[in-house]
Amino acid sequence: MMVTQSTKHAYSLLGFVATFISTFIVSSAVYAHDMLPAPIESGAVLFTNATVHSVTHGQLQQTDVLIADGKIVAVGQNLAEPAAIDATNPTHAAEAAESASAAVKARSATARSATAGLIADAVVIDATKKHIYPGLIALDTTMGLVEVEMMRSSNDAYEVGFINPQLEAISAFNPDSEIIPTVRVNGITHAQVVPQGDGLAGQSALVSMDSWTIEDALVDSNKQFHLYWPYIRWLSSDTDKRQEQLEDLSQRVDKVHQAFADAHRYQLALQAGKIAKIDLRWQALTSLFDGNAQLFVHAQSQKQIEEAIALSKIYGFKIVIVGGYDAWRLADVLSEVNASVIYTETLSLPKRKDEPIDLAFKIPALLKQANIPFALGFSSDWNSRNLPFAAGQTVAYGLTKSQALQSITLDAAKILGIDDMGAIAPGFKANIIIATGDILDPMQAAIESVYIDGRKIDLNNRHQQLYQKYLKRYNFEF
Amino acid sequence: MHNYKIIALVALLSALTSYSTIANDQLTDNTPKITALSHATLMLSPGKTLYDATLLIENNRIKSIINDNDIPPGVLEINLAGHIIYPGFIDPFTEYAIEYESTNEASDDPVYEIKRIGGNAENGAVHSEKEWFNYVYPDKEQAKKWIDNGFTSVQSSYLEGIFRGRGVSLSLADKKANDIIYSAKTNQFMAFDKGSSIQDYPQSLMGSMALIRQTFADARWYNDNISKSSNTGNNIEFNIALERLGGLEEQSFIFQTKNLNNQIRAARLLSEQKVSGSLVGNGHEYARIDELKSYPYSLVLPLNYPAAPKIIDSDSARDVSLATLRHWESAPSNLAIVAQADVPFALTQYGIKADKFWPRLKQAIKRGLDEETALAALTTEAAEIAGISNMVGQLKPGFMADLVISNGNVFADGKITSIWLQGEEHQLISRDLAMLAQPYQLQINELSFDLNIEQDPSLSGTLSSGEKEITLANVSYNQGRMTFSADLTEAGISGISRFTLWFDEAGLRGRLLDSNSQTIPFGGTKLELVVDNEPTQQQDHQARLSQVAKQTSPNVAYGLQQQPIEDKLHIKNATIWTSAKSGVLNNTDLIISQGNIEEIGSNLRTPSDYRVIDATGMHLTAGIIDEHSHIALNGGINEATDAVTSEVRIGDVINPDDIAIYRGLAGGVTTAQILHGSANPIGGQAQIIQLKWGDNAELLKFDGAPASIKFALGENVKQSHWGDNFNRRFPQSRIGVQSLFSEAFNEALAYRAAQKAYKKMRSSERRRTIAPQYNYRLEAVAEVLEQKRSVHIHSYVQSEILMFIRLAEAYNFKVGTFTHILEGYKVADEMAKHGAYASTFSDWWAYKFEVYDAIPQNTCLMQNKGVLTSINSDDYEMQRRLNQEAAKSMMYCGMAAEDAWKMITINPAIQLGIDGKVGSLVEGKQADIVLWSNSPLSVYAKVESTWVEGRRYFSREQDKLAQIAVETERAALIQKILQSDDTDKKGETSSEKIEPEWHCDTHFNAWQQTAQGAL
Repeated sequence: MMVTQSTKHAYSLLGFVATFISTFIVSSAVYAHDMLPAPIESGAVLFTNATVHSVTHGQLQQTDVLIADGKIVAVGQNLAEPAAIDATNPTHAAEAAESASAAVKARSATARSATAGLIADAVVIDATKKHIYPGLIALDTTMGLVEVEMMRSSNDAYEVGFINPQLEAISAFNPDSEIIPTVRVNGITHAQVVPQGDGLAGQSALVSMDSWTIEDALVDSNKQFHLYWPYIRWLSSDTDKRQEQLEDLSQRVDKVHQAFADAHRYQLALQAGKIAKIDLRWQALTSLFDGNAQLFVHAQSQKQIEEAIALSKIYGFKIVIVGGYDAWRLADVLSEVNASVIYTETLSLPKRKDEPIDLAFKIPALLKQANIPFALGFSSDWNSRNLPFAAGQTVAYGLTKSQALQSITLDAAKILGIDDMGAIAPGFKANIIIATGDILDPMQAAIESVYIDGRKIDLNNRHQQLYQKYLKRYNFEF
Repeated sequence: MHNYKIIALVALLSALTSYSTIANDQLTDNTPKITALSHATLMLSPGKTLYDATLLIENNRIKSIINDNDIPPGVLEINLAGHIIYPGFIDPFTEYAIEYESTNEASDDPVYEIKRIGGNAENGAVHSEKEWFNYVYPDKEQAKKWIDNGFTSVQSSYLEGIFRGRGVSLSLADKKANDIIYSAKTNQFMAFDKGSSIQDYPQSLMGSMALIRQTFADARWYNDNISKSSNTGNNIEFNIALERLGGLEEQSFIFQTKNLNNQIRAARLLSEQKVSGSLVGNGHEYARIDELKSYPYSLVLPLNYPAAPKIIDSDSARDVSLATLRHWESAPSNLAIVAQADVPFALTQYGIKADKFWPRLKQAIKRGLDEETALAALTTEAAEIAGISNMVGQLKPGFMADLVISNGNVFADGKITSIWLQGEEHQLISRDLAMLAQPYQLQINELSFDLNIEQDPSLSGTLSSGEKEITLANVSYNQGRMTFSADLTEAGISGISRFTLWFDEAGLRGRLLDSNSQTIPFGGTKLELVVDNEPTQQQDHQARLSQVAKQTSPNVAYGLQQQPIEDKLHIKNATIWTSAKSGVLNNTDLIISQGNIEEIGSNLRTPSDYRVIDATGMHLTAGIIDEHSHIALNGGINEATDAVTSEVRIGDVINPDDIAIYRGLAGGVTTAQILHGSANPIGGQAQIIQLKWGDNAELLKFDGAPASIKFALGENVKQSHWGDNFNRRFPQSRIGVQSLFSEAFNEALAYRAAQKAYKKMRSSERRRTIAPQYNYRLEAVAEVLEQKRSVHIHSYVQSEILMFIRLAEAYNFKVGTFTHILEGYKVADEMAKHGAYASTFSDWWAYKFEVYDAIPQNTCLMQNKGVLTSINSDDYEMQRRLNQEAAKSMMYCGMAAEDAWKMITINPAIQLGIDGKVGSLVEGKQADIVLWSNSPLSVYAKVESTWVEGRRYFSREQDKLAQIAVETERAALIQKILQSDDTDKKGETSSEKIEPEWHCDTHFNAWQQTAQGAL
């Protein structure tokens, strides 16, 4: 396996060198990472006596978690004791049953005896004084698309053109990105890989942070289209230029409307069987018109968000606002179209000079107060590893710790239309973090292991490797 | 001496013209040109008024002032009863009558050097040799813009470049250039904007300031040494730009800036050079009037009131800052506030349309500007600045007959009726037309009529008798003769009567031709005009009362109305992170007074009249220190136009208005080193500031902090991300960087040696020898080599780190701090042995190639190897959360909490050389303290209060109140805009440019206002 891995790297490296003859690239790229994707677990694992941050049922003390076949099977106290599941802890059992999917419920009677069997064969891991969290989901990232942002040759996040709904970000995802292991070490088990662009930029996908190939990595979900709502990047202070900018802006908004109008015509013709020639762009958008896809609209200001909602109303699209800086002011219109928000600006400055200095920190609490469904995002590649701390930051500014955790786990999954991720509860995928401290606080965070789909993944990474190497240079004992 | 010569010159010129015959004229004009303007109110000078007196004019001069209207015989008299004569107004900042066009063409490629033509300066923005009188050619059409408002003379220059050349003061009379020049060589005009110069340098505001400083030094050196040039083998190049700047002490400067901060910078720069002059303002002076007042410079103020911000919807309202809203309301009060502060000023029409001038000035008067000051601004002060106060600006014998005549108080409702330019009258309102401004009583036969004439918009009038009023038809008037027709049937004169009238001083005479062609002669007398005096003073008061805008320092949202006082404070029962040997102390008290930490201990007694804060459950720390920041500055972070720019100073461009200061305080930051960017190997001089929100730029500077400078290595200095046009400047690779440094160091050593050698010479020898030229660039490098200026070097990869350590060792100096230093862990041993410090990011990597080996365990490895390490932000936002950044080392490599905390307090203090005063909580140190709600390293911690030097500049409660106050004031101002009529909304759009947030490699062209780059 090792051999295959490095050969593969050497090969891609050759391509690199051939295209851009750069000695710097050669000297560094020899550090290809040798972390192997974890194998599929065959047996069950029982974590005992942990503090479980279940998300669906709050924080559970001295609780066991049983996983098997990549799923969480049971959560409760003293699971290993006979009849633990229904006798000693009836509340938990009931709750667990309630929260599980309908299919799980139907099987609950037989599940009980099956569970007992699993426990008997399970590898037991004592998690006393440890915390169990669900794996974190990083929304709106360019994970695997960008290796080194400023090196054009390693940056595949952005495509030219204004109307590109057919682009699939996943097609350029690099599961061997050196960045991925440095992000998952902080508990991020999944990332939404999002194309960047102007206007309709294409489709994103959710990936697992531990895989051999793109296909291994991909998590099934509805199609996710991304629309970057037009805006003016830097408003000129020159009156004439500003006027030009404003005109250009309204033209770009018109272009967005025109695109959907054209796509709509295509859709009508398609339904009538009257399409003579495929239009890649509009063909891609059919699932959106069918109601089987979501439209992620990247919009910050009130005007942008209102315009986006107006568009979604015309066609009845399911929309998610990404960015969402002003979204907290717009609860009524957002709820009219059942839109949710991925708020990405937690660790930002106020966008306007006079705004409260801590507004960006407070917005998650304001969204919560306004009953707007939201998740937190941290739009980046390497920096996505700071997602848990962005969530932590909201706690001093109005969210509870469990709300903060929910905003990067369960609520993030929900926004993607995924109902079996983001919680420690039976029926959910076994995406699990074992830590000795509060993972939202860098002062306390200490993650010991991470499981993706029940597989214990390698937490080594480029940083650890270099660290270990140079510890040896100084003969430090660690 | 100088002025005396000019008078003589003008006198001689006028004498010559009287003899000269022009080919086209048959005979010499020998008309006696002596006129008495009698029975007028004479505004001799501001505050000196003479009523019912006569001004006697001969040729182009005022001959005398006659108190009792006893006019000498043989003089033409013009009776100006009811009129006021003012000295002609002067605009000291114009481009009038300069026939010149710059022909520079911009280039896409960088331009490092310009063509040297005719002994010009090395820099394309320096043309101090220009003397603009050479280009004077009067322009009647242009002159009208001033004349119509009462201006009779101006000071002009071509307004382009940094050293713009010497201006000329001239009359607006339509005569030949030779006649109108009042003073040929007045002020040297200056600005920061390099204008059309195609040379890249200077690209930033600080670059401009450095260029000015160097040019002044060069000028002094040149003029002191040029005479020695022939005695020695070393020639000094001929340089007319420097030559013309000779005798700086006798020259005067007029400095144009576009905003208030730059205005203060110009004042500081000029006063540093000990030269005299004045500053062209921008209308924001009120916001920092005390600071402006502390400089010995008069002001030239425009009347540019901003247009009301456009408020269309909630989005556009949110995008308008409180500062902009305030200025809209406050701008018309500017002159009143400047006047109240007793700062002398003149007025200019610059920047506004001429027809706005008087309405704006009257608005200023309504807001409290007194008329005497306004008159001085238009006359004596302006004359002073234009260098012609010995000939214009007052009604005084011997002064030019440049006059403004009005039919009432020009500052109230009086209208300017005529202008005299060099003794020649230009009537704006024909004087005999002025006779129509009042009613007359006519006696026709036995009947008596009142005649009223309206002139606006065209001539019309009425004849009235008792209740009856007859409208006149076909009214026309010329040179005292009026004709009209009217139907007087009701008055007994049947049919349409035709009138002809002659007006004169006494009244009028006329004849009427009735329907029977019979002529009836009649006479008429003036009727008394009732004038109502407006109670203007009371209105001013009203206008000021309705002001909504507050004035704060700085005058932006969250600015302070009062600076915080020095606290006498006893903080009880806190967990104290000392950042010193005593570690973390539980349940401990701390007492501060006089800006310092007085005592630390448990259960301390509260001294009398000290305030007490119970900090049970809270944490108290030293203020956070950021080794690497780019907040709070204006006009560009990089002078990226040369590989070595050590002459530029961040300290020149500190921006005290930046909200980032306040936001930093809210994150517990009290001190930051503001560094030049990383665009070149040897960057500019750094400035350490204290985040004393509300203080001015000078007070923000950390008093007594050692000098430091930014150096840089790697991708940025080799212009990796600059685009294809930038591949010419050395160095373009890491292998070139080393020799660039060696070269700079060698130059500096040679420079210093030459200085020392010269100093050692005997004075007689020095007199013969050309002195070494003072060079700000090499001076700063020499200071580095002498260990007088600490190096903070932007660096990433191990090769360059090691290279620079060895280079420093070869040149015998110690590297201060490697900043960023993301591969420091690879050569921590070598760094420790050298004694260099490290300031790094907690976890940044992969954003560019040279940070691909960056690891978040860097801090621990360096620290454990004995390298004193700090964490910096290099970022506006992260600066507010440096506590969390420090905590990341606990997570990534198990650093102890206390050590992590030191990385943002005492360690950076040591790196900046200010650890004697700040960085830890130790008795006697400065009371820079922060009170936290929680362990300061926790993501859940919030700053409750921040003190700098014992003054509380931030507290959570005050911030809450401020948030409400900002919202309320904004709402009130927005309402006022929505309610105000169109005239109040009109104005100039702001010329103030929006600046980006600064990052290490922001390339900002301060003059074209373009920016690129991030991080």
